[in-house]
Amino acid sequence: MTAPLITLDRISRVYQTGRFEVRALDGLDLTVERGEFLAIVGPSGSGKSTLMNIVGCLDRPTAGRYVLDGTAVEELDDDGLADVRSRSIGFVFQSYNLLPRTSALDNVAMALAYQGVGHKERIARATASLERLGLGDRVDHEPTELSGGQQQRVAIARALVTEPALILADEPTGNLDTASGDDVMGILRELHATGRTIVLITHDADVAARADRQVHVRDGRLVA
Amino acid sequence: MSPLDLIRLALARLRSSRLRAALTMLGVIIGVGSVVALVAVGQGATKGITAQLEGLGTNLLTVNPGSSTSFGTRGAAGSATTLTIDDATALAAIPGVAAVAPELTTQKLVIAGKENTTTSIVGTSAQYGTVHNQTIWQGSFLTQPVTDLGLRVAVLGATTASDLGLGADAVGTDISIGGIPFRVIGILQSKGGSGPLNQDDQIIVPLEAVKSNFVSGDSVRSIGVSVATADQMDLVKAEITTGLKSRHGLGAADAADFTVFDQAQLLTTVNSITGLLTVLLAGIASISLIVGGIGIMNIMLVSVRERTREIGIRKAIGAKSRDILFQFLIEALVLSVLGGFIGILVGLGATAAIGAIAGWGFVFSPATLVVALLFSLAVGVIFGVWPARQAARLDPIAALRYE
Repeated sequence: MTAPLITLDRISRVYQTGRFEVRALDGLDLTVERGEFLAIVGPSGSGKSTLMNIVGCLDRPTAGRYVLDGTAVEELDDDGLADVRSRSIGFVFQSYNLLPRTSALDNVAMALAYQGVGHKERIARATASLERLGLGDRVDHEPTELSGGQQQRVAIARALVTEPALILADEPTGNLDTASGDDVMGILRELHATGRTIVLITHDADVAARADRQVHVRDGRLVA
Repeated sequence: MSPLDLIRLALARLRSSRLRAALTMLGVIIGVGSVVALVAVGQGATKGITAQLEGLGTNLLTVNPGSSTSFGTRGAAGSATTLTIDDATALAAIPGVAAVAPELTTQKLVIAGKENTTTSIVGTSAQYGTVHNQTIWQGSFLTQPVTDLGLRVAVLGATTASDLGLGADAVGTDISIGGIPFRVIGILQSKGGSGPLNQDDQIIVPLEAVKSNFVSGDSVRSIGVSVATADQMDLVKAEITTGLKSRHGLGAADAADFTVFDQAQLLTTVNSITGLLTVLLAGIASISLIVGGIGIMNIMLVSVRERTREIGIRKAIGAKSRDILFQFLIEALVLSVLGGFIGILVGLGATAAIGAIAGWGFVFSPATLVVALLFSLAVGVIFGVWPARQAARLDPIAALRYE
């Protein structure tokens, strides 16, 4: 058996707001194997978002060890974290987070630009990624010209184009109607079927049920 | 991202907000344009004045008599009658002197047919043309035999000729100067210029003719000396001073009863004044360049604020702080350099227009353009770096949550 993709070891994250200390994560342990489809479930205020920021290498833990794809993340500086995000993580956000006034193609190709991929190859790979998600005829459309479901597909195409070890989806269906939401979950399941590791963060039990495994966050810890 | 990618990104960004980009660039356009135009105006004015001064004669030294003192009252400089024709002859013997032209000037009424004018009558030698860079347009200039004999012949300045209604066919006809008939033997090429520098409004006649007809005595108003080469100027000037002092019976320690005026000195003075003016004008113009830079900074700061979410997205997807820094810096640079380019074109247009109006033609130095472009580049860096740093320092989580 190969090493797990994600190992979180007694992770704590403490925010200092004025005189108060907020312990958003409190000694949390989590292991995600390669090829897993995991849902992290929890109500707002549970520390779920903080966990997503740390797993997504947007933030560093106050204490504890985090190894992602063999890299000890908590030792990295900001540029190191940016590198890990660029190479190892594909984000899918609730609000899509596409660049406005930018074509679907450029939105997807942008992810490759920060890896130093040349212009031609970027265009080719971004086009392929969009085609894979059934958006071959939408490459020149800007986000405002696309439906919510289509925008989320563009976001997934952007997450996939770098061939990351981990797809991190934060409430990917939160802004979508039921049909589009089902559609997006279907895509994630397909990706999982092709061997991708997917971590889904949600408060929605129905969405979480589509994952293979669920962990629940309460008060900064995992509960059974 | 490669610099090319960033430039492409910046251009796409500017295309998507054309009006804002144009207004932001306007400050730099005006700044660079006025620097280019005003420096060119300075250079054009310098060139124009220099050309006029050089028109008076190259390597010219002018010897003027000192002031006379009568009954204890000191007269104006040049009022003394200490310079003589013999002095002029003696100066011709000094090594390095190419030509000597003693001048005895008087104002006379000149009549040609029905036309008349009052102008300067310059009595001088055949070398006057060499000393004062005069070239003949029609006929011929004074010659040695003519001046030796003191014949009543006249060479007309271009303005004088046209004032008298005389053209090319006037050569060989007679005109009346102060009531005395003179034969026109030549008309000079126009040199341009106006006011006290105008050399086109005068009549040149043999010195002897002035002496025998208008002004008695042996003294001359001034002696023009043309020096063979520029680097001999100082030496010849010193030689003239000592030579004339001893001729006038003055010791080395005595004050000279004449002055030697150096054309090059005047040229240097004028050049330093116009140079100073050019710097002054450029300085004033560069203030508007700074204002333009502040405009860029202002818009970039607004832009960073507006695009906080974009910055968050880019960072989440893997952009390093440096990528964001360069993205915004290059955007500012594209604005300022593009503005600089357009400003140069505007400045050159203004230069051509002003040159055409002022009559010194299209004068500009490529160095000015390079400097202007470097300046606009510097404006972009200086005023772009702070907003870019603001953008680069944004925390990705906070930026992503920014609405």
